[in-house]
Amino acid sequence: MAIEERKKIEINSIARLIDELDYFQILKVNQNASPEEVKIAYFRESRQYHPDKFYNEPPEVAKKVTMIFKRITEAYKILSDPETRDVYTKSIAGSDRHKNLRYIHGVQGGLPKEDEGQTTMGRKYFQMGKVAFNNMDYKGAKINFQLAAKMEPKNETFKEYLAKVEEKLRSKK
Amino acid sequence: MDVLYIFMAGRLRVGAGCDRFNFDNRLDYKEKMMAKVVGIDLGTSTSAVAIVEDGMAKVIPNERGEKIIPSVVSFLEDGTRIVGTLAKRRMIMDPENTVYSAKRLIGRKFFSSEVKKAQAVCAYKIVEGPNQGVVIEIRGKQYSLAEISSFILMEMKRIAEDYLHEKVDRAVITVPAYFNDGQRQATKDAGTIAGLQVLRIINEPTAAALAYGFGKGLNQKIGIYDLGGGTFDISVLEIGDDIFEVISTAGDTFLGGDDFDDRLIDYLAEIFYKEHNVDLRTNKHALQRLKDAAERGKVDLSENLETDISITGIVEEMAGPLDLHAKVARNYFGKLVYDLIQKTFKVCDEAMQNAGMTVDQLDSIILVGGPTKMSIIKEAVESYFFKTPQSGINPEEVVALGASIQGSALMESSTSSLLLDVTPMSLGIATAGGLMDRLIARNTPIPTEQSRIYTTTRDNQESVNIRVFQGENRKYDENEPLGECRLTGVRPAKKGGPKIKVTFEINADGIVEVSAEDVDTGQEQRITLNVSGGLSREEIDKLKSQHASGEDVAERK
Repeated sequence: MAIEERKKIEINSIARLIDELDYFQILKVNQNASPEEVKIAYFRESRQYHPDKFYNEPPEVAKKVTMIFKRITEAYKILSDPETRDVYTKSIAGSDRHKNLRYIHGVQGGLPKEDEGQTTMGRKYFQMGKVAFNNMDYKGAKINFQLAAKMEPKNETFKEYLAKVEEKLRSKK
Repeated sequence: MDVLYIFMAGRLRVGAGCDRFNFDNRLDYKEKMMAKVVGIDLGTSTSAVAIVEDGMAKVIPNERGEKIIPSVVSFLEDGTRIVGTLAKRRMIMDPENTVYSAKRLIGRKFFSSEVKKAQAVCAYKIVEGPNQGVVIEIRGKQYSLAEISSFILMEMKRIAEDYLHEKVDRAVITVPAYFNDGQRQATKDAGTIAGLQVLRIINEPTAAALAYGFGKGLNQKIGIYDLGGGTFDISVLEIGDDIFEVISTAGDTFLGGDDFDDRLIDYLAEIFYKEHNVDLRTNKHALQRLKDAAERGKVDLSENLETDISITGIVEEMAGPLDLHAKVARNYFGKLVYDLIQKTFKVCDEAMQNAGMTVDQLDSIILVGGPTKMSIIKEAVESYFFKTPQSGINPEEVVALGASIQGSALMESSTSSLLLDVTPMSLGIATAGGLMDRLIARNTPIPTEQSRIYTTTRDNQESVNIRVFQGENRKYDENEPLGECRLTGVRPAKKGGPKIKVTFEINADGIVEVSAEDVDTGQEQRITLNVSGGLSREEIDKLKSQHASGEDVAERK
């Protein structure tokens, strides 16, 4: 039942190389392939690398195949939409090709920013608390952060600041 | 490949004619691992179990010859429990201790409107569980919804084992396509508790498509209209020889045949109220009998243009027992549920739009789910899609059949069929400003993944919390909270220093997994996703071993 040795070698080499391939190379189609050709290629590669076809293989093989298949669907998703395909094809033509092999959705690498409040009062108390905190008026800051947290009990940033100011008050004692 | 085939065929011969006990003794561990795989349709109102034998998928009947088993669990006074038709009869006799439509509650939050609605009509006790979850209290004992579902799965397992005379411990279980992560996870947990290795969770409409097209070498675009007891799904697929590609799927997990019953119940209760000035809906026993009668009336209206509904002594008043008598015409029933049917078509519009197709591009329409047997639905579907739905497919069996085909496809990786399914809803994370940062769009083929780089906002910050949501709204608050990821053990550094790549994966079961690694060191980071309302690994294992003995309720009292 085990897959052929040759297939295993093939999977290993694709898994190693995949980060250097663009979506056209992953689907084994030309850059001017028609939408039908892209779809046929997607089906052909899915038949080869869908994880269901390797369900009984050892985890290390299954893991690699899953990774390959995820990249195949990613390639198909981008290349089957004319808009994203256009953006992508241009992005891999330039000198930054190696950086753009994987399509970048919207803002990539967005940092989780501080949640400055969703309600008018929450925002107001939070700002007042911050001013007080910067002026080292920790007691005043605490009251404001408490009020802000009361306005928005779910706000993690408010809680973090409240914890910070409480820590300051403790260390002062 | 050939070798396996011979081996399996040989094993099957050994199995036939042996009783279960002996058979177990004869099998060594490895052979037991090769035991058969069943497909289970765990439905809101009914369930079915199927198996592929000699290349043919078939639904397995129980000892009473029933293939469609009511998804009802009744807890008897002596501590035993029963599942199926006999349990369903107890819905009237013993409503407090008889649980039905549990699937409507699985994976839901206690404060959701669906739970509130169930509390108002169900005679069994629904209480708040740990982690904002829901538990059911019967005879002073609490059961999670995964546990209730596991009782149904155990019965399906037993039916299969009795029929096959061998142990069954692997299954493919189906869920509505529009089930979210929590609901899928809870269903998978139910399988584990029932002592089943859940090979795969697949979507009901996809399973139905597989059963419809398997081995036929079709090249078609099809629509699956799946109206179950509690949920509605529409999936648009393209079948190309052996590949079943889901192009789009949409659904409503708050809309099903139960809602059609409710309309009739309301109507009957109104008539009764006008006549006797007694509201039957405030009496849970009367309501149960009314529900039973409404359900039968609904079925009757599929065959006849008019039905007589009468319940003698539905309620006891001072002057004596009162009877309910009513005549309902099919047309009138159609009017009562008109908006519900239209609601399904709004979902269909959405699916067609996402597929970038119009209804005339579809080659076939397949009806799935018991409620689609109603003639008013059949007629409405026909006029919406401009074509007669496929006949000759049993809408109550087709999902289990498809699940069993997928089960055998997974076991014999060489099988020609391949499912390319999608995630029904977008996955995203909460950002500042209340908006959801969409990581994975709906209708993306699964398995799939997306990564984001995170950093710290304070010096020496040790942990980062990431809130994960599912849904289409731009504001995360309007979407379903899936859980919270907590990234811990971040190396101490100045704020903005550590760069941690968090990868969100939707696996082939449609279940979300997260992993994280430090971009600079390449080291894996600890990250846990706490699904709200879910059971922990330990709880599942504990329940599994408690139930492993089979007759466990008595000792657990």
